[in-house]
Amino acid sequence: MKRKITIHKLLILGAIIFMITSPVEARIKLVALPDRGKTIIRLDNPQATLIEDERILTLQQGTNKVDFSWKGVSIDMDSIRLTVLTQRDLVTLLNVSYPPNEAALVWEIHSMKPIEVTVRISYLLSFIDRLITYKGISDQEEQEMSLKSFLVLRNFSGEDFENATVLLDEGQSFEQRINHEETKQVLFLKKDKVPIEKRWTFDAAKQPWDPEKLDTNVGIPVSYRIENVATSGLGAFALSNGKVRVFQEDGHGSTIFLGEDATGMVPVGENMDVYIGDSRDIVVTQRKMRDQHINVRRDKKNRVVLYDTDEVINATIENFKDKPAMLTMIQHIPGQWDMEECNMSYKRKDAFRLEFEITLPAHGKEDLMMHYHRRNLR
Amino acid sequence: MRCKRILFVTMMVFLTQGIAQAKVDLVILPKRDAAQLTIYNSADLTLVRDIRALTLKKGLNNMQFSWANTLIDPTSLEMQPKMDADKIDILDLTFPPRVRGLGLWHVQSQTSGNVPVEITYLTSGLSWRAFYMGTLSTDEKTMGLQGYVRVTNKSGEDYENAQVRLIVGKINIIDQIADLARRQYPYDRPGAVARVPAPAMAEKKSEMMAAKRQLVAAEGAMMARPKEIRKEGLSEYFLYTIEGKETIPHGWSKRLPSFEVKTIPVVNLYKYEEERYGDQVMRFLSFKNDKDHNLGNTPIPGGVIKVYRNVGESEQLSYEGQSNFKYIPVNEDVELNLGSVSNVLVKPTLKNFATGRFLFNGGGTITGWDEIRDFEIEVKNTRGITVKVDIRRNFGTSSWELEKTGDFGDYEKVDLDTVKFILSLNAHETKKFHYIITTHHGTRAD
Repeated sequence: MKRKITIHKLLILGAIIFMITSPVEARIKLVALPDRGKTIIRLDNPQATLIEDERILTLQQGTNKVDFSWKGVSIDMDSIRLTVLTQRDLVTLLNVSYPPNEAALVWEIHSMKPIEVTVRISYLLSFIDRLITYKGISDQEEQEMSLKSFLVLRNFSGEDFENATVLLDEGQSFEQRINHEETKQVLFLKKDKVPIEKRWTFDAAKQPWDPEKLDTNVGIPVSYRIENVATSGLGAFALSNGKVRVFQEDGHGSTIFLGEDATGMVPVGENMDVYIGDSRDIVVTQRKMRDQHINVRRDKKNRVVLYDTDEVINATIENFKDKPAMLTMIQHIPGQWDMEECNMSYKRKDAFRLEFEITLPAHGKEDLMMHYHRRNLR
Repeated sequence: MRCKRILFVTMMVFLTQGIAQAKVDLVILPKRDAAQLTIYNSADLTLVRDIRALTLKKGLNNMQFSWANTLIDPTSLEMQPKMDADKIDILDLTFPPRVRGLGLWHVQSQTSGNVPVEITYLTSGLSWRAFYMGTLSTDEKTMGLQGYVRVTNKSGEDYENAQVRLIVGKINIIDQIADLARRQYPYDRPGAVARVPAPAMAEKKSEMMAAKRQLVAAEGAMMARPKEIRKEGLSEYFLYTIEGKETIPHGWSKRLPSFEVKTIPVVNLYKYEEERYGDQVMRFLSFKNDKDHNLGNTPIPGGVIKVYRNVGESEQLSYEGQSNFKYIPVNEDVELNLGSVSNVLVKPTLKNFATGRFLFNGGGTITGWDEIRDFEIEVKNTRGITVKVDIRRNFGTSSWELEKTGDFGDYEKVDLDTVKFILSLNAHETKKFHYIITTHHGTRAD
């Protein structure tokens, strides 16, 4: 005969304790259901949520069977662990067995004498997780930001949790009650005056070269950079991946929405780059002015086997804003190459990528000229 | 009277004599004291700022906010006290099980009484667009320009006496607000994407009539002069704030003048480029968004312009055409494309073709050569006004030389295989010029 006692709606913990005086023929379940003690919802692993329940078991001397079964929730059966927290020297976990065709398992625990012990049951529970979202409000000068981060707890596990301790990364924790199909949003980080760096980026491999030929505006992507370091008021822990919404003070006691982006995990010391939108007041027009074969080498049959190129690229960068801007311009030259002449300094970021930092005065204009040879093309 | 779709319910839960006994002792529906709409045109998105006065008790307060049949993104909801912020702690925002369009704030307050709070959220369904009317003078040397904005509310919510602000600029968004609004669960559910159909936006006739009365009443209260629009730059965007308050019921649009400039000097520019426009001449109106053209205070949002021309003394108009134009920054050149015309003609004629300077390899195969083309370009202005013509010629190779003769100024190299010729023609004038283009092919190009 089986008897199940349900906690709330779905999760069932039956502690069946009895003396084994003869070989077990059938599982006889207990009458008294141990109260659920402290519950921890551990969310530090974004892939899976670990639940840890503490219960007090009343054990008889000898071998006891503790039955753990569930219904309407999805528990990874192989993840279930039982840890005895008190009087460990008197208690031995003998084995675990799985009854047929049931979402259940049975622990066999030997006790040296009749006692109450506190145990912790740990298991991975599906359909409960957390999201992280960020909301930043930049000041009018776009120098610093008030940054908030919210934890969004989503419980669709089938289980109601009363007063659970929710644990996040790096030991952050708070008490929370969350029922099945409930979503809760809790503020867990708030930092004012976080320095931000505004960046405009033109990547010649991504942006159109000649905006005049297009019917729509070509925007220059604009992003805010936040450093996850102590000097920014951050740096205590990695910033989780999540959606970032950025607002700006408008000088009239209100804000405007600047844009949103999805950030990846930002470890301590690394940067969070948030692409907020496009600037249409910085216009880059890039054109190739020369592309010729030079230094052509031939085989005995006069076929071209190797050649170099002579290439010239001009780019005009116009700032129609009434504030100066620093544009990061990325140019790409594939293969082996030599720069013959360039009117601006650049950093060679890798074999094929050049990065220019171009300071644009308000309502100013700069012209870039690159003259280079690509070598030994076949 | 149409029912409000957004409801705010305050339930005061307090503790008595230390006993944690929750008790709902009051339910009120605080009115919306003020609203501000910041409407974007690059995305279906509006930032709503809603000011309400809540009556708080000391202790724990539960505040319920519901938004059935609207297009509010619940993930964007935020409430902030505008007074006693250090005494009021917003503990969490809970989206309860099995209820759609409802959020519950748990607020711990050390103070009691009326507290103004600001609720912000993003909604879909409100939009605006810019459009323009241009009127050319009879001699087509100047143009009057009137700019308008049209704001449309299909959000499912009536916004009465709201401050309306419009954002010009392209923001980045990663989720459509309408999609977020239609989710069954605000943040979806782990490992599942569940959607339900959009809320029905069908109008009831009585509601429409009520809305119409509201609109008429609001318009009656408007000032006797057109409202001004304050324009200011913020970050990469421009913010247009419409003077005063607007009431825009769900389903209605409102057209507002944004600016008017009486006289903008314009150039009648005609362009010819076979690779872009085929064999047609395109007409453009050219000017600059700067002080010299009585503009230049702010960028001009992209939109559609319809261009008319004054004809005769009785102020009759002729319709010249319309153009979609892009956002125009301050000090940027503007070219309004009014479409193809037949009263300015560009006729390129290949007068002669030759090849030469052949190169051969050891086997006698041709490896390189030149091609020489002699073009005559005839440009005819049949109009009674002076026009400027921009003719672009593409050569399809970067290895070329050009000789020019004829009735035009110098040419300009646009890029490695394109040049442009600029001509100015008086009324009823015809010009001709020649150019000889030599292109190098095969090993001649090396």
